[in-house]
Amino acid sequence: MREQLEQLRTGALQSIATAASVEQLQEIRINLLGRKGELTALMKGLGSLDASERPIVGQLVNTVRDVIESALGGAIKAAEEKAIAVRLQSERIDTSLPGRHPLKGTKHPISLVIEEICSIFAGLGFSVAEGPEIEHDWYNFEALNFPPEHPARDMQDTFFVENNLLLRTHTSPVQIRTMLKQKPPVRIIAPGTVYRCDSDATHSPMFHQIEGLMVDSGVTFGDLKGILTVFTNQLFGQKTGVRLRPSYFPFTEPSAEVDIACVICGGKGCRVCKNSGWLEILGAGMVDPEVYRHVQYDAEDISGFAFGMGIERIAMLKYGISDMRLLFENDVRFLRQF
Amino acid sequence: MNVTYNWLKEFVDFDETPDELAALLTMLGLEVESMEKLGAGMDDVVVALVEEKRQHPNADKLSLCRVNNGTEVLDVVCGAQNFKQGDTVVLAQTGAVLPGDFKIKRSKIRGEESCGMLCSEKELGLAEESAGIIVLPPAFAPLGTPIFAALGLKDTLFEIGLTPNRSDCLSVIGIARDIAAKLGLKVKYPQTALVEGPEAVGSVIGVTIENPDICPRYAARYISGCTIAPSPEWLVKRLNAIGIRSINNVVDVTNLVMMEVGQPLHAFDCDRLSEKRIVVRAAGDGELFTTLDNQPRVLTAGDLVICDAERPVALAGVMGGLNSEIEGTTTTILLESAFFKPAAIRKTAKRLGLHTESSHRFERGIDIDNVTRALDRAASLIVELAGGVMALGCLDVYPGKSERAAIPFRPEKANELIGINLERQLIIDILTRLECLVTECPDGSVTVIPPHYRIDIEREIDLIEEIARLNGYDKIPATMPVARVVSDRPTRHQEIEKQLRNLLVNNGMTEIINFSFTAPEAAGKLLLNDNDPRRLAIRLANPLVDEQSVMRTTLLPGLLETTAKNMSFRSLDLKLFEMRRVYLPGEGEDMPHEPLCIVGALSGSRDGDGWSRPNELVDFYDAKGIVETVLDFLDIGGVTWVNDNPEPYFHPGKSCRILAGRDCIGSVGELHPTVQKNFEIEKPVFCFELDFEKLVKYSRTKKTITAPSRFPDSTRDIALLIPDELAAAKIVDCIKAEKAKEIEHVQIFDVYRGKGVAEGYKSVAVRIRYRSFERTLADEEISSLHNKIVASLTDKLQITVR
Ligand SMILES: [Zn+2]
Repeated sequence: MREQLEQLRTGALQSIATAASVEQLQEIRINLLGRKGELTALMKGLGSLDASERPIVGQLVNTVRDVIESALGGAIKAAEEKAIAVRLQSERIDTSLPGRHPLKGTKHPISLVIEEICSIFAGLGFSVAEGPEIEHDWYNFEALNFPPEHPARDMQDTFFVENNLLLRTHTSPVQIRTMLKQKPPVRIIAPGTVYRCDSDATHSPMFHQIEGLMVDSGVTFGDLKGILTVFTNQLFGQKTGVRLRPSYFPFTEPSAEVDIACVICGGKGCRVCKNSGWLEILGAGMVDPEVYRHVQYDAEDISGFAFGMGIERIAMLKYGISDMRLLFENDVRFLRQF
Repeated sequence: MNVTYNWLKEFVDFDETPDELAALLTMLGLEVESMEKLGAGMDDVVVALVEEKRQHPNADKLSLCRVNNGTEVLDVVCGAQNFKQGDTVVLAQTGAVLPGDFKIKRSKIRGEESCGMLCSEKELGLAEESAGIIVLPPAFAPLGTPIFAALGLKDTLFEIGLTPNRSDCLSVIGIARDIAAKLGLKVKYPQTALVEGPEAVGSVIGVTIENPDICPRYAARYISGCTIAPSPEWLVKRLNAIGIRSINNVVDVTNLVMMEVGQPLHAFDCDRLSEKRIVVRAAGDGELFTTLDNQPRVLTAGDLVICDAERPVALAGVMGGLNSEIEGTTTTILLESAFFKPAAIRKTAKRLGLHTESSHRFERGIDIDNVTRALDRAASLIVELAGGVMALGCLDVYPGKSERAAIPFRPEKANELIGINLERQLIIDILTRLECLVTECPDGSVTVIPPHYRIDIEREIDLIEEIARLNGYDKIPATMPVARVVSDRPTRHQEIEKQLRNLLVNNGMTEIINFSFTAPEAAGKLLLNDNDPRRLAIRLANPLVDEQSVMRTTLLPGLLETTAKNMSFRSLDLKLFEMRRVYLPGEGEDMPHEPLCIVGALSGSRDGDGWSRPNELVDFYDAKGIVETVLDFLDIGGVTWVNDNPEPYFHPGKSCRILAGRDCIGSVGELHPTVQKNFEIEKPVFCFELDFEKLVKYSRTKKTITAPSRFPDSTRDIALLIPDELAAAKIVDCIKAEKAKEIEHVQIFDVYRGKGVAEGYKSVAVRIRYRSFERTLADEEISSLHNKIVASLTDKLQITVR
């Protein structure tokens, strides 16, 4: 029995040492230690030994098994490592080939700018309001203090539809609709599509605006300046210079054009800013008392401001687009860059 | 409004440079849109003396000159003949840039050195034509003086973009007044010294106003014995500088005074006026009149005409008549200065499409107080330039003198609204500088009477604006409003719109934005039936072009045009969507509806070309897949896809409507080949359209979330042979109808036609995944359940298992 064990041990270690693969080693393990393996068979023979010899031989069997198992374990680990090394050595791909990716989707730049502006104003406590694009003359003009036959109407070439309806020329009628619907405090912005019958390199018959309106007690022109400064700094970067200068809109008074320091040249003067160093991006002002009269607000109790800006202009400045028509040509080679 | 620096300076004595003045004007709300420095870049064009002139040895028509520019004597070759040795001339030295970007360089002309050019007026841009070079009077200016400075032409032209409320600034004086008010200076108004003859004006001419409601004031003067001639140099140059062409001395004076003080004037040839009489009256409907641009005009009852005793001689406030205009032979003049009501002039000018400097001013409102001052100024200038005698007095018909109402004003209200804290006295000073009459009552209240020329100031708020404007918008501190929190959450519509835009983009779709108007033919190109409601589009009354004359009722035409256009640019792999409004007429008096819609188009390669996989083309199921992704995202259940009543623009066999319950929420399909051709689209296109409002309506806000099972799954496949016309989805529906809670998932994983499958049949392979939430299912258990399902399928659908 002892000799048998010794032979088994020597033979096993020899075959482990010469085994070439993990599979061969596994086979050796089954042949020796498996249910029908040689060592297992020997162990079954223990029962026929003397009671006195049984513990000693039993111990010997365990020792041999441990030796074989440890040799097998070491050999398998080594064989596995070698196999991995061989695999890593032999497998190579060309990593310079392009990866696989699905076709990229993009939002239209107009949508991107509207989303960005809305989120800035959401942070300032403004919620989004909407209104119809086919609008009554009353909301688009009269309630905003554009009397019929007034020269100010010339500023906005209007597309007309029958029944005193027209395509709104600005998002300002949303101010009226909002104030008619709710009492102060009001703090809204209204992005939307607007129309003017005018078409060339800098004018599109359809374009987009965002209107803002804040009405509450004690709102000042300085507050308008504050809100617009925070807004432009967030949109165009901290410390963008902001300038308000007097202007005229029938529905605000005092009125202002709002300029930012030219984002192209930083205020030194360039072609885009016509060498002035300033870019006009917004019209704004304190809501005119005449507008409050139309929506039955009492101008003695409250005050407020309104502002409006062209989305296309801001998109063009943000992305350095020089021709507005690109925005509506829908050429995917253009759109996929956003 | 064009105005020059030097002209402004005649009326206000400011120290600002042209650049500083431009900034000041812009910050006053008189935006300087452009600024042109006259004579800029011409400092190298100087006064010089011809010291020697002799014949060019190699050219008969050229001369060789030695020209002294004050510092050196230069050789110059010249081709002009109209000068001699010793003349003072204008030399453009090397480095000068003449109009037309003509750079002066040292050169050799026929072998002789030339270091500059002797200039003509034309070459300097001073005249349209000129016969030879400029010969200046002897000792005109020190040699070497830049010519523009020497001629007093160094000036700056400002082009000011006026807002419609500032009619008072449609004159040089008006702008000067604002500068003076801002700087605290006095305006130097032009002084008129009238020299009148003995004959009383009323004994020569007469004026009658029949419509004082439209013409509240009409003043006239009479001048006889004058001579029409070209205007003097200074007048021509002054008008040219602001872009007005010189006509003759009399017309030029009326233009000059209009630009100077803002009052449009008209000079009639008085001998051509019947009975030397003026009658201001409303035109008759259909009355004919020829304006001085030689255009016959048909008038209507709303128009105001200036007539003599018999016939119209001018269209009031807009344009004079051919029958009474000043001619070369004119010797007597009736000079008109009037006030016409803005609305009436605007109506006439607009209807006739006749926009003149005169109508522009009357439409916006002029200063009624200024009517006779302007008249006197123009009349005396005419006498000065054209000679003749002015009759004694001014015929001023002004039946109801208008007075301006006093405006109650609270200085503290100005501070409060603007957000500043100016001293009461400063506020009053600002208004006084604006020529307002400010009255402080003993009780502390203030009233303000604005000057006539500021017709835009009527209310307290208008005065508050003036305070903000004159004090300076830049002096207003930027503050943050202390206000109540009012922010609402975005509405469900807004939220879903944003989410869907993100979802579509994340699924590879590119967003497009088309114009909301389309061509009336679009409905026909889509093969819409004659009674299709989408044919009832809202029309524009004044479209720019016919292709943009109706409001779209569907987003498809724009989408398809975009598809065609991109394909023509060889962008063939397209995944486009548009999420915008369509415009449907309202019932009766109702406003139109503007529901939001979503459309998408897919064409070309599914994943783009690549080196590592076959280039697969998109098909119906890619379009449907996008829609399913949307429906799944919004958790819209119970959707069926039916191709019973397809849209006319889709391939009838490869399209379906999407029903939520029985409500159609959209459709998906391959574009009909005819529609594809109508839109000139090269390749097959797969489209979907969804009704956004209905998506919102059927979306479930709260998703039900269940924890996953912790037990192992087991799958079984079945291959079924079914007739082609049987919808494969029926198999899945049928399996799900068993409602066995152990069925976790059912999926069609292969559809096969062809070899081994009989004609008219398809083989559909279905995989069912079984799993329990309570325990590990035994093989036998699953098999028995699976067999039951197979039996039910063969039984209910009459199909066979392969
Ligand atoms: Zn710039």
